[in-house]
Amino acid sequence: MARVLIADDASFMRQMIREIIEPEGHEVVGEATNGIEAVDLYNELLPDVVTMDIVMPKRSGIDAVKAILAEHPTACVVMCSALGQETLVMEALQAGARDFIVKPFKPDSVISTIAKILEKGND
Amino acid sequence: MALDMAKYRQIFLEESTEHLAEISRALFDLEKEMSNTEAIDSLFRMAHSIKSMAASLGYDSVADLSHRMEDRMEGVRADGRVRSQAELALLFRCLESLERMVAAVAKDEEPLRVDDELLRLLAEDPSGPAPTELASPDPVGGEPKKVLA
Repeated sequence: MARVLIADDASFMRQMIREIIEPEGHEVVGEATNGIEAVDLYNELLPDVVTMDIVMPKRSGIDAVKAILAEHPTACVVMCSALGQETLVMEALQAGARDFIVKPFKPDSVISTIAKILEKGND
Repeated sequence: MALDMAKYRQIFLEESTEHLAEISRALFDLEKEMSNTEAIDSLFRMAHSIKSMAASLGYDSVADLSHRMEDRMEGVRADGRVRSQAELALLFRCLESLERMVAAVAKDEEPLRVDDELLRLLAEDPSGPAPTELASPDPVGGEPKKVLA
């Protein structure tokens, strides 16, 4: 089970991810509402997984994932994307994000994506 | 697993009401200065956020309109400014439509159908339609139509 940091400016999305992953035994150790907080909380909490929204105020999810991976090359970051953000998702994956989940979230997909990257992380 | 969608409907109403107020503020800022970067970014993010929430709840017409608005704002962001008064008027018209749709959800009605004319204008060339086309906004028009099964 993993310690998870959720980064999303929308409370709606943060609560939804929390409600999906907590019953699976994951612990939400922090919530960030913008890209700057995401980087700061990552450095402070060193979570096993980050779910990172792409569009956030102050610093985008793409910039945040790049900053996190520059300091922590093995960080497990899953991008949360929406319809029409394929180019940004590719940019994040090229920067080192492990995978992505698409809004609207499908609980099974969120759970399996996190399980998959944890499994790969443990290889 | 099943999520408690009634809870998320309530959060949607609260957050979208805040987002619409922020969109309104941003539009008035853009009315004063069409290259106001903060207002442009804010409008883009608010439209994106409303789209994601609405899509999660199956409010397809809200998701569709906010998606088109987000796409339009992406172009505005790339150009660094709202490109015409007509485009600004169009964005105000989107706001009015979204406000009506969210109000319908708040009254336990399903969101009104967004009119094709507004979607067509959003997809048009960024220089925008002639201002006269936007002189008498009728954002939704007609009788409320159910869009969800």
